[in-house]
Amino acid sequence: MPKLSRSRRHGLLVITAIAGASGLTLISLYNFHRAAQPPDNRPIKSQIAGYVSSNACRACHPGNYASWHASFHRTMTQVATPNSLPNDIDKLELALHGREYKGERRGDKFFVRTRPEGGSYGEPQQVVLVTGSHNLQILWLETGEGHTLHQFPFAYIVAEKIWAPVNETFVMPPSVKEYYFVGAWNGACMDCHVTQGQSRFVAGNKWDSQVAEFGIACEACHSEGWEHIERNRNPVRRFKIHLTTKSDQTVTNPARLKGPESALACGQCHSVWAFNDMMDKIDFNRHGAAFRPGGHDLAQRFVVQPNTSDHAEQKDFIRRTERDFFQNRFWGDGMIRVTGREFNGVQASPCFRGGEFSCISCHEMHLDSPGQADAKTWARTGQLKPKMDSDTACLQCHKDMSARLVAHTHHTADSSGSRCYNCHMPRTTFGLLHAMRSHQVSSPNVQESIAYGRPNACNLCHLNQTLAWTAQNLHAWYNQPVPELSQDDRTIAAAVQWILKGDAGQRALIAWGMGWESAQKTAGRDWLYPYLIYGMTDSYAAVRFDAWKSLQTLPGFSDFSFTYTAADDSLREAATRAYEKWLRQVRDVNAVYRPETAIDADGRFQQDVFQRLRSERDNKPIFLAE
Amino acid sequence: MTRPSKRALPVTQRADRNLRFGWWSLLVFLSLGAALETLHGFKIGWYVDVGNETRRLMFTLAHAHGTLLALVNIAAGLTGRNVDRFSLRPSVSFALIWAAILLPAGFFLGGIVIYDGDPGLGVWLVPIGALLLFYSVARVAIDLSKLN
Repeated sequence: MPKLSRSRRHGLLVITAIAGASGLTLISLYNFHRAAQPPDNRPIKSQIAGYVSSNACRACHPGNYASWHASFHRTMTQVATPNSLPNDIDKLELALHGREYKGERRGDKFFVRTRPEGGSYGEPQQVVLVTGSHNLQILWLETGEGHTLHQFPFAYIVAEKIWAPVNETFVMPPSVKEYYFVGAWNGACMDCHVTQGQSRFVAGNKWDSQVAEFGIACEACHSEGWEHIERNRNPVRRFKIHLTTKSDQTVTNPARLKGPESALACGQCHSVWAFNDMMDKIDFNRHGAAFRPGGHDLAQRFVVQPNTSDHAEQKDFIRRTERDFFQNRFWGDGMIRVTGREFNGVQASPCFRGGEFSCISCHEMHLDSPGQADAKTWARTGQLKPKMDSDTACLQCHKDMSARLVAHTHHTADSSGSRCYNCHMPRTTFGLLHAMRSHQVSSPNVQESIAYGRPNACNLCHLNQTLAWTAQNLHAWYNQPVPELSQDDRTIAAAVQWILKGDAGQRALIAWGMGWESAQKTAGRDWLYPYLIYGMTDSYAAVRFDAWKSLQTLPGFSDFSFTYTAADDSLREAATRAYEKWLRQVRDVNAVYRPETAIDADGRFQQDVFQRLRSERDNKPIFLAE
Repeated sequence: MTRPSKRALPVTQRADRNLRFGWWSLLVFLSLGAALETLHGFKIGWYVDVGNETRRLMFTLAHAHGTLLALVNIAAGLTGRNVDRFSLRPSVSFALIWAAILLPAGFFLGGIVIYDGDPGLGVWLVPIGALLLFYSVARVAIDLSKLN
């Protein structure tokens, strides 16, 4: 072999190096391209006209991006990854209705195998998406039908770190065994749990769904960002906007909108809404929402308020075709009773009529004062503006009230009865296993409690008082007429009536309310034990859960364990165990129980009252459609 | 006797001026670096919060450019003094000093008031400083090349 000259050797070396580097680049490009291929077993993030996703917003709005990133809006729907799923899901072993479920992990992917009764484990189904992140997490499985998803029948309760059947995480009749159906995520959940989702029904039960972004991202509230980005590449334009008070017309800023339009940006999801007609439903399904923040109405949809005159034809149609639609969402007078639909309450509030009041009167979607709270606390406390967890929220407008607070409330200034929220936004909505404040600003009213069953603010705190007591005080203080009252309303505490003979929604509210510290301080704790222990055997899982959690707030029971999803025998055994513990170890033998509590001197239910109220229970099926 | 204009400064004095300016400027911008470290050390939100990312970037750029341009002025002064047959032109000496003022000052002022991802108006000083720097560096390079 002839010896190569020095220069040729160098040349050969250079060519070899270039060839090697080119080869490595090609391999990298191939891998990048392969990794960039969208998965075919779940809905995908896709280029939807005008939408650019939060990554594009980040460069120019780092602070807003960071506070949004800390919020639970971002994580409303996430692709299933080790970070987004509950820990130890690969070690999961659960059983429900004769079926067994087993989790397994392969790399960064998670799968579930199902074994029917008497059979063997089937093919693994990948967990592809997860909905929710701070209260409940619901997992979605591939179905083998493209982007169509099926729901994993258990939900993860984040605070308790436990798995529970999904139907037992809602106020739902015990007879309902499986709530979600194949394609439910595509046909319903994605309407609000993603940014600009397009369900795209194909045929049969098959969907080809795509989204602009998983979770509720920037463009859900600010509308699509393409034009905004393109036009603001020009620095002169940007500085013109910075140096004037004019708003940028290429993007919507809900903070600069009038109250109704601003609130509707939130209300596009946080409301009970329905489609105008079938054509609009089909259009929404194919192309996504036509509503853009800043709009005056929801375009293909409308906000359903039971008692307003708008959309009468559509509401009649709903009444004819879905008999329980209104009952599952509203109190009898049209006030919303489920959580997550706060816009219905806001819109029906007297404050809303002024045209300035909106969600961002009290909430902020970006942490504007980072010094006030860390992002996690802010996100966990409803993204409230600084001090908006106090009377300041109402005093923004009702300025004169601070000077005559005690005269108005008839409670001492430091009493929980002098807090605006407690009287005017009591916890009469329910969802995600807990009671939440009504967002319809109202005043306590006994007549409404009698007519519609909605607990009034006074008796949600004064749990041991009767409706008659409340009616007399409201008459004396605010000249409210005293309604006609039954004998029970005069002699038995309203909360006792609601938890024994109320419907499941009322029982859930009271079971939660008995754990509320302010109510315990006001109404005493000793008499709550038997009612909460009894609530642990309720036929509705949500009531059992809240009765247990409230019991844990009482002295002696903070570590009391209870499986609220267990079979009836186990529930009764746990309740017996709790009652024995209370009676023999915890109960104050000197405690005096007011007659209104229907507890006799030795701490037992007054049997005649208890049995009668129990037999009068409102057993109509309740399904609070959160 | 009339006072000579700056333009008429002898060659070595012009080089000395850049040297003096360079060292003082180095002191200023190293001090700024220490101040920024202090803001970091006490985690001052006005500087370290993620919403103030642009301010942090601007101040960091002011510190880096100020320090670097101080060194460039020193290098120019030393070049003017030590390279035979080479003298710093008055315009180059002037441009180098003003570049070393305007560039970091633009970044610094741009960081005081920010608009999300955009710096404040002060940042418009930066391109002026950049042009002066570009002119002076190019001029020195050309003049040095001509010596051969």
